[in-house]
Formats: sequence, structure tokens, C-alpha cells
Amino acid sequence: MSYEMWAEKYRPQSLGEMVNQKEIVERLKSFVQAHNIPHCIFAGPPGTGKTTAALCLAHDFYGEGWREHLMELNASDERGINVVRETVKTFARIKSIGEIPFKIMILDEADNMTGDAQQALRRTMERFTETCRFILIANYSGKIIEPIQSRCAPFRFTYLKREDQDAYLRRIIQKEYVKVSDEGLNAIFEVCGGDLRRAVNTLQAAASLGKPIDSETVYSVIGRANPIDVRNMITLAMKGDFITAREKLREMILKYGVAGSDIIKQIHIEIFRSGLPEKWKVKLADAIGEIDFRLVQGSDDEVQLSALLARLVEAGSEIQEGG
Amino acid sequence: MYAAWTVKHKPKTLAEVVGNIDSIEKLVEWIKSWSKGIPKKRAVFIHGPPGVGKTAAVEVIAHDLGMELVEKNASDYRTAEAVERFAGLASQYGTLFGGRRLILLDELDGITGTADKGGVATITEIVKKAQCPIVLIANDIYDPRFATLRTHCLLIELKKPTVPQVVKRLKEVCKREGIETDEETLKFVAERSGRDVRSAINDLQALAQGKKKLAYSDVSWLAERDRKEVIFSVLRTIFYSKDTLEAKRAIDSADVDPDMLFQWIYENAPHQLNDPHDLAEAMDSLSLADVYRGRLQRSQDWSLLRYFLDFMTAGVAMARERSKPSGWVPYKFPERIRLLSMSRGEREMKAQIGMKMRKKCHVSSVTAVKEILPYVRIIFENNKARAEGLAKWLDLDEDMIEYLAGKKKARTVAEES
Repeated sequence: MSYEMWAEKYRPQSLGEMVNQKEIVERLKSFVQAHNIPHCIFAGPPGTGKTTAALCLAHDFYGEGWREHLMELNASDERGINVVRETVKTFARIKSIGEIPFKIMILDEADNMTGDAQQALRRTMERFTETCRFILIANYSGKIIEPIQSRCAPFRFTYLKREDQDAYLRRIIQKEYVKVSDEGLNAIFEVCGGDLRRAVNTLQAAASLGKPIDSETVYSVIGRANPIDVRNMITLAMKGDFITAREKLREMILKYGVAGSDIIKQIHIEIFRSGLPEKWKVKLADAIGEIDFRLVQGSDDEVQLSALLARLVEAGSEIQEGG
Repeated sequence: MYAAWTVKHKPKTLAEVVGNIDSIEKLVEWIKSWSKGIPKKRAVFIHGPPGVGKTAAVEVIAHDLGMELVEKNASDYRTAEAVERFAGLASQYGTLFGGRRLILLDELDGITGTADKGGVATITEIVKKAQCPIVLIANDIYDPRFATLRTHCLLIELKKPTVPQVVKRLKEVCKREGIETDEETLKFVAERSGRDVRSAINDLQALAQGKKKLAYSDVSWLAERDRKEVIFSVLRTIFYSKDTLEAKRAIDSADVDPDMLFQWIYENAPHQLNDPHDLAEAMDSLSLADVYRGRLQRSQDWSLLRYFLDFMTAGVAMARERSKPSGWVPYKFPERIRLLSMSRGEREMKAQIGMKMRKKCHVSSVTAVKEILPYVRIIFENNKARAEGLAKWLDLDEDMIEYLAGKKKARTVAEES
């Protein structure tokens, strides 16, 4: 039986199949027509089609046998300077055979490259422009050094609109014979917020349960897959139970490998959603912002977030005293 | 009742005093020189760390030379009058029977400024006009209180003996007590005492008394206890000190790895500080300490270490304002260290699966573990047929399949409670 991840099975092969990022897709199509591609940076949140767009561009550009002209590297796995010096350089310097004189190098998650590696890359991009064009993919273009940014055409990807995501999911639903209620689709959009990879994965996991998918199925899948019960943790802290709140935090980080930056993002959202006195929400936003900054500077996510939990405990006791 | 071995096996001859041969020789020469008239310096000031045999040496010499030893120590009053009454008179006359007298003022570190008012000044006066040899003993001769006194004395330092010297002495004690043991065991006891002979003999008694044989396994467990006790006393200082310098020094006095100590403080702070404001301040200090640690790790600029230490020690100490002493709350071993090692197996398993996914799914292995693996796991748990298909597609091995299906937890993973 052939079965694979739907996100791969239904990943668009050509620019024409992409359902979103219309302006970007139009510009990329114009590169294909002009038989030329500049160095590019694709920046934007996860699941918005950056990698797909790069692969589609290569596919449409070279046509049949496009994989021969392409190299895909993920900087998170190969982030050191040696990769740039060896793998990247070796690929970039060798001329392509065929009518188009250059190859394409996709550097995914490029914002995870070390500073050294980026510096080395800058030279390589310059020297081998004739034989190789680079597409850098990143969540934040700000983490790419300025000299590289100035050599690249920037493209900003944004979260999918509701109708684009629905259109895409409906195609899969039809082909895979899955039953999904409208509430089910609502729920997927609510929890995935336009991150298409997450939406497709959620759909596939929910479908594996073997029954029609409604909102409840979606929430249970999401709950299993994303055990970030931030709300519960905040409640514990506000009630003064620092020790249990810290245990919850520890579980998220150690057991489920949730990143500190994701947790603090959730805390920020939850605080404003909560029933706290309005002026306290603002006070706490300051505390959250400070810890968010320290997360980047520090070395231990749990310690930083615990400091925030202790602030919540303090706030909880002051609110109770009528502060 | 058993006698304390430190008393029972006190040196009876100079040969039994451990180490410091040159210094002891110098002391003997000086005492002997009194027979040829009063020397230029009328007192000797012996100094050195505890348990090196300062008092023992003086006692043995007095005995060997047939002198009467007149001794005062910290347990006696040492106000100006008391010192004058005792040493002043004694130092002026010979013994009733024409023998010679040696005056010993031991444990001078113990003279306090208020209760023993004028003590050191009076001792200085007595030394200046002494008619018989006076021996003074203290640990820290460079204490400012001794500045003047020091100039009137011949200074003799007794240093810590070497480990083999201590071992030799312990062997002699074991022999007399009829205890069979080996070099390695005694070496451990000697090292652990910090080459303090008195403390080493005390330890030996505690460990070996009533036994015929003392093996390494009888003593090695002490190391673990020591480490814990050291950490506990450091924690006590850090959670209760009102003095930033004292809190900072706590970490110097104990030979603890700063990162490990950080974990201990971080784990125990909420148990020690019961006021929410105090706790928030303490955790804030730990957060700042961690910021400096992060900067240090990235820049490799080790001069930043001191700020990391400042915040984790003094910063936490100063956080205590309103917390009531919480009675005796036992210190807890950092839970995180245990969890980290337990979940290592699981993380390794996930990372391996991530490696399998990354090429197929066009993501990094880290992203695969975070964004894809959780969904794959749901499929494996609920749909065998689809799981088989995915396993083939991803080229997963048996262990991975079982792990994803939840049949087998990665080896060392703790059960969920």
C-alpha cells in the first residue's frame, strides 16, 4: 500500500498549482519567461509556501530533469561554515550543462546559519553568480546579514487566507475520500491560522481516526500534537502555585520539546484573552516583553520562563490584595 | 568509653610530629638558646592551619627538654588583668624547683575585641619583658590585631604536611589499634581531611573503631556526603545572607561547579522564599544570571562569569525581604538534571526519526520533529494500515515504528504519572 504524508503528496509541482501568494507567484512566473533568476530571499512564517515556491520555480524553469540543476540544503542541519566552504562552493562553481548556464541552490532555514557561514556565503554568491543562483529561505529576513540581503530580491510570504486554505484542503478531502464537516474546517483554520503544512498534517492525522471529522476531532488532534497547555500553567501561577506551574513548564520543554519562544508567544496571547484587570494586562505585557528579550540573550529557556511565572505569582497575589 | 584517638595517639616524641622538620628544629634551637641568656626575641609566634601539630610540637618539646609547661588557651579569660595575673607573674620567675618554665598562650585567634579587652596589648607588654620563653600560637598571624605583637616575636610557620606524611601517621595509629588496612584507603582519608592530621585521625576513629579491617568501600561513600554538605551550606548562606560579599564568597569557599550550583539554587528558591515578591525578585536575579551566562557562552568572554555568579549568589540573597523563615525545609536535588538524563533516550529517538523525515519532507530534522512527528504519531497510534504505508515511505526501522505506535517507550523514558 502506498501511503505518504499528504503535505508531500499534494505539494504543488508547478507555480500554476499554487493557491496563494498571488503577487509572488506572478513575479516568479515572469522569471521563467525571461529565462533569468536573480538571487532571492523568500521570507515569511512557516507553512506559507516558501519551499514549495522555490521547488516550483526550479521545476518550471528547467522543465524535465529539473532536479539535475538543483541543490537543496537545510541550514538548520548543515549550518556551519564548512558546509558553505565545501558543499555549497563545489556545487556553485561547476557550470551547468544545457541551455541555461546556471544552477539553483536552495538554502532552506537560512536564518539558522551562523554569522561566519553567512559571511562566507556572501563571497560565494558574488563569485559564482554566473554559474549559480541562490534562493535563501527564512522565517525572518532580519536574521540574514545585510550584505546578503542587498544582493537578493526579497519576497515576503504571508499566512494563507481562509478561502485559499479551504480550497487547498477541499482538493485533498475529495481525493482522499475524507468526510469533513464545515465546523471541522472552521476548527482547522482557527487552530492553524493559515499555516498550510500544519493544516494538512492536522487533516491527515484526524482522518486516520477513521470517522467523519468535526471540530471535536480537530481539537483533540491538535491537543495531542501541541501539548502547550499554557492557559492552565498561567492559572496555576496566578493562584500562587509556582511549583506546579514550573513543573508544567518543564514538561512542555523537556518532554515535548516546545521552544521557549513559542511558549512565550502563547503566554502573551493568553494574558490578553484572560479576565485579568485591564491595567494588569499592560503591566504584564512589559514583564513578558522583557523575558522575551532575555530568552534570546540567555542560555536556558526554562529559567527565563520561570522568572516570568514568578512575576505572574506576584501579580496574582497583588491583584488579590486589591492592587 | 573509648578515648579520643587524637588524645590517645598524641605525639609523645618529636619523631611522631608529622612533617615540618626545619621549623621544629628552629623552635628547639630558640628554646635552647635561653640557657645562654635572654635572646633578642623573647617570644615565638607559631602559626599555621588547624591540625598541623602546633600545640603538639610545643608539648613534646617541653617534655623532651624537661621544662614545666604553663598553658592558657581560648577557654580561659584573656582580658588584660587575667593575662597579667597569669603570664605576667609566671614569666618573671623560674619554677619553684629551679627547673625552667615554658609559657604557652594557645589559640590567640580566639581573643575577642570586647570580652578579652586589652588582651593582645597586655601580651605584647609581657613579651617585651619576659624572663622565660613564651610561645604564642594562632592560625592567622596576619590578622591586624597582631601587627605590633608580631614585631616582637620570632615567627615560625608550620605548614600542612604532605599526603604521604599524613598516611604514614595514620598507618602508625592503625597499627597500634590493631586495624588492618591499605594505602589507598588511608590516602583517601588523608586527602579528604585536607591534610589536617587531627581531623584525619578523628575520621579514622569514626570509620574504623571496633573493626579489624578498614577497606576502601568503607570510606568512599564519604565523598558523596561531602559534596552534598558543601552544597547545602552554600545554599544556606545564599538563601539567608544579608551581606552581598558573604553570599558571593559562599561559592568560593566551596569547590562547586557554578552551573551545578545554579541548578541547585534555581530548584530550591521557590521552596525557600514563600513571599511572592521575594520569589519574583530571586527568579529575576536567576534570569539575569542566565542572560550573562548566555552572553558568556556566545562570546566566550570569561570575564563575564563574575556577573553570572553575582546574580546567582548576591542577587538571590538580596531578594529575601518579606519571606518568613520557613522552618527547616530540606534542600532538593535539581529535578531537571534527573529529567534531562531520563528524556535523553526519547529525544535521541525523535532526532533519528527527524533525520528520516527531513529529505522527504523538505524540512530540517528539527522542524520535522516539531512540526511533523506529532501528527505521524497520531496516525501510528490509530491506523495500522496507514502507519505501515508511512513507515515504508519514510524507511523507518522496527524500533522507530514501535516507538511511534506507543508500544515501546524509548528505553529510559519515565512513565507518565
